[in-house]
Amino acid sequence: METLSWGAIIVRILLQFMPVWIALAAVFVLSITYKRKLGLYGKLFDSKVGMVGFFLVMFWIFTGLFGAMDMIITHDPLTQISGLKNKAPGTPVPDSSKYSGYYLLGGDNLARDVFSRMVKGAFVVVQIAPLSTLFAFMVGITLGLPAGYFGGYLDTALSFAANLILAFPVILLFYLLVTPEIVESGIPNYMAAVLFIFPLIFVGVLLNSRFHTRPSVRTPLLIVVLGSMGWIYLSLISEKGGAIDLVPALLDGFDVPGGILVVFVAVVFVNAPTVFRIVRGLTLDVKTRDYVAAAQTRGESHWYIMLWEILPNVRGPLIVDFCLRIGYTTILLGTLGFFGLGLPPESPDWGSTINEGRKLLSIYLHPALPPAIALLSLVLGLNLLADGLREESLRD
Amino acid sequence: MSDQTDYAGPILEIDKLSISFMTRLMEIPAVMDFSAKIMPGEALGLVGESGCGKSTVALGIMRDLGKNGEIVGGTIKFKGKDLTTMPAEELRRIRGKEIAMIYQEPMASLNPAMKIGKQLMEVPMLHENMCANDAYARALEVVTDVKLPDPKRVLNSYPHQLSGGQQQRIVIAMALMSKPKLLILDEPTTALDVTVEAAVIELVKDLGKKYGTSILFISHNLGLVLETCDRICVMYSGEAIERGSIKDVFDKMRHPYTQALFRSIPLPGADKNSRPLMAIPGNFPLPHERPIGCNFGPRCSYAVKGQCDQGAIEMASVDGNGLHETRCRRYEEIDWLAEPEVARQTEKTDRGAKILDLQNLQKYYEVASSSMFKNKSDVAVVKANEDISFSAHEAETLAIVGESGCGKSTLAKMLLGLETATDGKIQLLDTEIQDTPIAERGTTAVSSVQMVFQNPFDTLNPSMTIGRQIIRALEIFKIGSNDAERRNRMLELLDLVKLPRAFAERTPRQLSGGQKQRVGIARAFAGDAKIVVADEPVSALDVSVQAAVTDLLMEIQRKNRTTLLFISHDLSIVRYLSDRVLVMYLGHVVELGTADQVFSPPYHPYTEALLSAVPIADTTIQKQQIVLEGDIPSAMNPPSGCPFQTRCRWKSSVAGNLCETQVPDVQNLADGHQVKCHLSPEALASMEPVIKTAAEADPT
Repeated sequence: METLSWGAIIVRILLQFMPVWIALAAVFVLSITYKRKLGLYGKLFDSKVGMVGFFLVMFWIFTGLFGAMDMIITHDPLTQISGLKNKAPGTPVPDSSKYSGYYLLGGDNLARDVFSRMVKGAFVVVQIAPLSTLFAFMVGITLGLPAGYFGGYLDTALSFAANLILAFPVILLFYLLVTPEIVESGIPNYMAAVLFIFPLIFVGVLLNSRFHTRPSVRTPLLIVVLGSMGWIYLSLISEKGGAIDLVPALLDGFDVPGGILVVFVAVVFVNAPTVFRIVRGLTLDVKTRDYVAAAQTRGESHWYIMLWEILPNVRGPLIVDFCLRIGYTTILLGTLGFFGLGLPPESPDWGSTINEGRKLLSIYLHPALPPAIALLSLVLGLNLLADGLREESLRD
Repeated sequence: MSDQTDYAGPILEIDKLSISFMTRLMEIPAVMDFSAKIMPGEALGLVGESGCGKSTVALGIMRDLGKNGEIVGGTIKFKGKDLTTMPAEELRRIRGKEIAMIYQEPMASLNPAMKIGKQLMEVPMLHENMCANDAYARALEVVTDVKLPDPKRVLNSYPHQLSGGQQQRIVIAMALMSKPKLLILDEPTTALDVTVEAAVIELVKDLGKKYGTSILFISHNLGLVLETCDRICVMYSGEAIERGSIKDVFDKMRHPYTQALFRSIPLPGADKNSRPLMAIPGNFPLPHERPIGCNFGPRCSYAVKGQCDQGAIEMASVDGNGLHETRCRRYEEIDWLAEPEVARQTEKTDRGAKILDLQNLQKYYEVASSSMFKNKSDVAVVKANEDISFSAHEAETLAIVGESGCGKSTLAKMLLGLETATDGKIQLLDTEIQDTPIAERGTTAVSSVQMVFQNPFDTLNPSMTIGRQIIRALEIFKIGSNDAERRNRMLELLDLVKLPRAFAERTPRQLSGGQKQRVGIARAFAGDAKIVVADEPVSALDVSVQAAVTDLLMEIQRKNRTTLLFISHDLSIVRYLSDRVLVMYLGHVVELGTADQVFSPPYHPYTEALLSAVPIADTTIQKQQIVLEGDIPSAMNPPSGCPFQTRCRWKSSVAGNLCETQVPDVQNLADGHQVKCHLSPEALASMEPVIKTAAEADPT
């Protein structure tokens, strides 16, 4: 078989992404049809910038999801096929009973398919970035609300801690977290135990403050919600033979690979202080409103006021920041991968692939470029989406 | 220069101006077919409720309509030149030099990072290439003209070092720096206190005469327009509906809306029981939902089907010479002199047992200059409430009157338990609550003292439905045993405040200001409150809505026999609805008595000044002019002796320096009438009434 021309490569790649196109078309048609009924999300489709951003983000989300179902990839991302080491894009795979087709974007240093690795890498990002950002928000909100609302010494202490973490060099922190001695001492696990308890506190206080006037609803609700969340929490942090081994194996629902846990902890740890500062600032503003005073005069608890009177009314800036922050997290994941921290060495995530490609960059450009462009376009999309949301939320 | 030469014709001539805002859904007409003319040296008042397009007209003149706004028809001629087609370059020369505009919020018009002097000097230096020395001389002259004390020091200070009233004077000075031909004032005093407002209005009037400037005065306050303007133009829903001289429009109005507007404001003589205010029924139409024919038709009591709801209505001349015009087809058929039918008269409610008693209540706040390194000598004390004693009875309305900084909000906070008292006693029924913060109060204690807030746009949580917010109050007050009961009660409360039940599912964003305030009232009465503290509940609302909300409050009060503590600075509304009045100044109760006692001599000198400051929209009223000098002293550093001595015009009548050294004792003048003043009973008795009605001249 002949090596494919660039035109043919592009056509084949576009065809390979067919499930993504179909899903995107469906999302856009439905959203634009009903955009007047969809609130802020619907308004997004009035802004070109927002639509472009949303398109890029959804492209990579669908790519990640379908890729995880082995739909878009042309080859297994870990399989090495002999003779394809560092081969140029469009090189046909040597005929054999097992393999066929082309390496659309060429082969890497270990003769793996660059295209498939890039698609698989999207799933790593789509899995980790939003979830760890969400955790960072839970931590930031749970601490930022009381800091802004009560002020005083609590605020001084928490703000000081936040500044301390922000002042610590991020890369050094990551290196420390994955150092074998530190992993053995269990510090990342203890940090996870602390950081991951915040969602529990958050949801628990949220529900209790709202429903404490109706115990018949509150008690079962809290038992169910906190029970299930507690089980997930315990499964998450405890590991057979690890630093924290609390739950018997029978109840331990799942284990998270140590590397991923470290990545999670690191990302939450460095993102939470910034979220904390944003939430604190917004709270300082909103707590002077009359509806907060009205809640105080009818004797509401402080947590009710913070979580139900203040938090919903600062959601606009927080949603925008959430989008931006997923972008930062994506870059952070890239950085971690680039330094080979946390994720397994074979992982197809974009940071690791860029790092591998970098070593032969002066000879072979093609293995490093696709993941770099992927990373760029996803972060660009997230930033454009945030811009669009901000712009639209300010308009009438 | 050529453009400085005198121009004989009208300074500003607006002809059939139409302005629209383009939104993503449709074009929203904000101003339609608007015409006006201002002659040199003349002051035109533009009056209307919020959303009627009066500010849009002003912005249209400045051609500053923003991205969405567009002039879609008509012309604006300034000294004969059409501004609508003028190139941007030429327009820039006119703005700020020949047309100056003064906005509502003084702080927003001043650059906080630049000294006052520099900001003022910039104007002539930019427009007339004046050298810095001449510009400084001009600045000094203008600042002296706006009657600021110590002009040199003012020029050398930053905006934040001045008070709100002083800032507004600087903004006026800045507008006058280039000796403009036309001055546009867009609600220039809304953010100021009444006594400061009176002084600023006085200043604008004088300066207009001195500089020969034409003035376009935009306001929602008919009283202010009466005091400042020669002619008036009333706007409703984007159209001018009546135009004429002040005398014509105030005394011989020929448009039903103008008449309804006058009937809905509390003029002297109105009384909550025998002559209640008449609210205008219905709501202001949204710009894209205007009716066919007369915009006011659906709310007009004179409207006739088939006549008022067809076609566009043109301005008609009332007197034949175009000086008094109205946009009403039926103005000749309506009997304008007929007395309005009084909707309902109510009995005066008798006041019940004593429910609240305050004795020598005191609240000091400590303000440390630096929170990090506390030093005992650095701690400043804000004396928010110095010595408050009064009592309130069941079913009575006690008005608390005073300007910002007098301590009325702190008093409310202590009643509600948001703050605890430094000293003194608050007795609610038979428990003392001055030391109990709200978290330690029982459910009944909390629900029995509730509050209605000032700003309707801030009083409801924007992300919760109306129903949910009322139900939440019911849950907290432990009313109703299950969800269904509480839901029923919530719907009943909506009925009580005369809102449709469908509003339960709406979010606050979908409600108008008056409707939001009704929800606020429903929420305050959710727990059968014994005492409701209403903090300026209607001051942010339009006049026609004010009447309806005030009446609603009165009606619920009558039904529930609630004690209403009505905090306000608007003496017209206070006179209308209160049984007793308490006047506060710098944390002191300076006067306390029944409404009749407080509103007629003898007065406390401060009450006298307050009464004189309130603009009254009635041409038959003669007011004594008492303009207070200076601003309210800071509560951090109150004057020695009598708190009011720094601004009091009666000080010379007291022998020696008693006023400066001793806080006066409370004098009991008549039954329940107290005045905290050093003036002798004879001096107090010699006071003249501030407001006199020329009863003979009254046409009705």
